[in-house]
Amino acid sequence: MTDTASSSGGIRPDALVRPADPASDLEKAALKGRPKVSLLGLGMLSPAAVLLLVFFFAPVVLTTIFSFTNMTSATGISGGAYVLSPNLLRELERSGVDSDTLAALGTESVVVDQESIAAARAAGVEEDFLEEIEDDLLGVDFDSKQDFERALKDLPSHLRRTRDLKLAADHFLVSALNTRFATRAEASDAISALAPDIAPGTRDRILDASYTGWVWTTENFRRLATQPETLRLVLNTFFYVAVTLAFNVLVGLFLAITVFYLPKGTGMVFSVLWLLPRITPVVLYAIMWKWFTWDGGFVASFADLVGLPSFNYMKGSVPTAWTIVILVNGCIGASFGMILFSGALRSIPMQQLWASEVDGASRWQQVRYIILPQMRWPILFVTCYQSMSLLSSYEQIWLTTNGGPGNTTMVWALESFRTALSNYTGNLQYGQGAAMALVLVIVGLVLSIIFLRMFRFGELVEKPKIEF
Amino acid sequence: MQIVLKDFTKSFDGLTVIDKLNLTINDGEMLALLGPSGCGKSTTLLAISGILRVNGGQILFGDKDVSNLPSQKRNVGVVFQNYALYPHMTAFENIAFPLQVRKTGAAEIEERVREMARLTHIEPYLDRRPGQLSGGQQQRVALARALVRRPDVLLLDEPLANLDAKLRLEMRSEIRRIQLETGITAILVTHDQVEAMSMADRIAIMDHGRIQQIAAPEDMYHRPSNTFVAGFLGNPPIVFLEGKAIGNGAFESASGMRMPLPERLTGLAADQPIVMGVRPEHFGVKGRHTVRGTVSFIEPQGRETHFDLTVAEGEVLRSIQAARTDISLGSEVEWPLDVDKALVFDSEGNRL
Ligand SMILES: Nc1ncnc2c1ncn2[C@@H]1O[C@H](COP(=O)(O)OP(=O)(O)OP(=O)(O)O)[C@@H](O)[C@H]1O
Ligand SMILES: [Mg+2]
Repeated sequence: MTDTASSSGGIRPDALVRPADPASDLEKAALKGRPKVSLLGLGMLSPAAVLLLVFFFAPVVLTTIFSFTNMTSATGISGGAYVLSPNLLRELERSGVDSDTLAALGTESVVVDQESIAAARAAGVEEDFLEEIEDDLLGVDFDSKQDFERALKDLPSHLRRTRDLKLAADHFLVSALNTRFATRAEASDAISALAPDIAPGTRDRILDASYTGWVWTTENFRRLATQPETLRLVLNTFFYVAVTLAFNVLVGLFLAITVFYLPKGTGMVFSVLWLLPRITPVVLYAIMWKWFTWDGGFVASFADLVGLPSFNYMKGSVPTAWTIVILVNGCIGASFGMILFSGALRSIPMQQLWASEVDGASRWQQVRYIILPQMRWPILFVTCYQSMSLLSSYEQIWLTTNGGPGNTTMVWALESFRTALSNYTGNLQYGQGAAMALVLVIVGLVLSIIFLRMFRFGELVEKPKIEF
Repeated sequence: MQIVLKDFTKSFDGLTVIDKLNLTINDGEMLALLGPSGCGKSTTLLAISGILRVNGGQILFGDKDVSNLPSQKRNVGVVFQNYALYPHMTAFENIAFPLQVRKTGAAEIEERVREMARLTHIEPYLDRRPGQLSGGQQQRVALARALVRRPDVLLLDEPLANLDAKLRLEMRSEIRRIQLETGITAILVTHDQVEAMSMADRIAIMDHGRIQQIAAPEDMYHRPSNTFVAGFLGNPPIVFLEGKAIGNGAFESASGMRMPLPERLTGLAADQPIVMGVRPEHFGVKGRHTVRGTVSFIEPQGRETHFDLTVAEGEVLRSIQAARTDISLGSEVEWPLDVDKALVFDSEGNRL
């Protein structure tokens, strides 16, 4: 009724020329005189910048730094000392250091001075005996422990039992072994004293090896590149990410489309059910699965009932372990996909679906030709997003199979977590773990650049709707 | 194909929107379903297309009851208000879609899509996606898609609502041309009276889920069955004066203004409450009665000028005259009124 063209009067609508909208001129002017970047704007941005710095860059930078060190829980993260341990000498001998030199380092000498007497007294050696030692032997040199023990036996009030005597003698033995030297110079002096003829190169090598703190090294990466375990981890990770991702996308799509076609109430219940894995705390969720697949649990009992082998499906065999790992993660991702796809589905105008029905398309044809092609971007998005988060996620695997049986379901992220932070048996290898994490970060960055390119490409195909 | 709606009833969540509507669309005719927003036009159309199921009554295509047939099996072509083209397909693919889902051979698809493109004048744009087409081109693609599988019925839901005034004029005659060329039975849903008048063979005016009148456009304009129809058709609209017959073939309005009744109604009993309807083209040009008043509004329209004349407190007559500039706002004038063309309604609103 707002059409001013009148049928009876025959007024052509072209006669109605509206004056130019003054607002549009104003807008143009505003666009031209766009204000320069203001201090206020930067000020408003600064909290975000700080957060980015603290929560994103700092971890990455720290990971990078750690990955080029050999830090472990043995070295600690602050400095260390120089210690020549018997183990170290054995290792050095194996790696080709002259054994005479090493023997020299391992020699013990006998020193009888006020200090060692005091130490022996503190350890509870008899006072009479110590006094005699002080009187007769103070400052005397002995070539060996045996000589010293013989000299001790000659003392009037020497200890009757040989074992006690030997124990008392130990207090006067001095060795470079197991002594903590705070600085390199001290350790160097000690080595030179014991083995005066040592070549400076060998000495440096021994000093390096005896350091208990951390040092800079590229060893972590060399080890990653050479150890056979790496390939297994890569293959496992690839398999895990690819299959879980496929599960996420396919099941997510299937659920979204099913819920879309279900009556409202039923669809609602259905989608809430599928949201449960997403909203349950991850530990609870993992424990649920554990109960579910426990030796006497639901799955095992059910398998027994239908005549299948009954065992712990989570840990009992490699194929079932993988199945469980993929299901555990897949269900979480599928509900994420479902939410996203549902949103995208709802944004398809209803009339398009009506049109396709009138055009004669069956439900399946509607899904195949109208809905799926329009879900391309959401699918790509879920693929990108999920592949990144799957790549770096380990907590569900950690809480369920923990990489087992053996190391068959071990993935890169879990291995790096274990190496760095959760090693029950050996030392926590921060450096090695960081190196593995860094590899993940780099793979993630490369992937995101590729994915961003793909999104850009999409923008290029469809010309921008707004031109400047 | 003749379409018959018998006692068609539709309700949403228990709320009845259309109650026992009866309507017959003749074979090969274009019927316009005209009415204000929310009166149930789209609902009726969607029920005919099978997208909405009826809650009562029947829908017949020819002799066949299609009430419970899904839309896939009804062989109707629909053009939706926003065209509902598939954005990821080219114009060609859009038009080919109804054939493709029927597994028609590629050669035949090609031939029939080209034929439709020729008919709707969109041959140059077949490779483009809907996003790269203008509103009018999209509209034609939607029309071609609706027609490509030779449906029994063509349903158009406000097909021109999104077009600008000029394109709307163009497409009006275009759609009519195509409908006449194909001889298809068509229903045009619109809330634009001009569209309905210029395109349709017959108009059905709807209000609150009821058909108020079905008639040919001219007929409906000159012989509206009630005040709703009279008020809905015509722009600027008809003016109603409430009052009563006072015997001797005269009418007195609420404010006391008197005028003669049309020749054919001079016998109305005195004191019968009636409503006089005066269309603007019947005031100010010629007539046997004159009315005095003050010009209270002037709207130049180029070829014509619209005037409002306040004749009494709260009573305004509207006049449409060939463009004139000799009258200024506030001037006192005395203009002729063609009382024999005036429409008279009883107190229920039905025309006498
Ligand atoms: N899906 C629905 N659920 C509930 N009510 C509906 C639904 N569809 C339509 N209605 C109601 O039915 C009535 C008729 O709607 P309809 O869409 O047929 O109006 P229309 O005549 O096409 O109006 P318009 O000119 O604005 O398109 C309206 O009151 C509307 O609110
Ligand atoms: Mg409508």
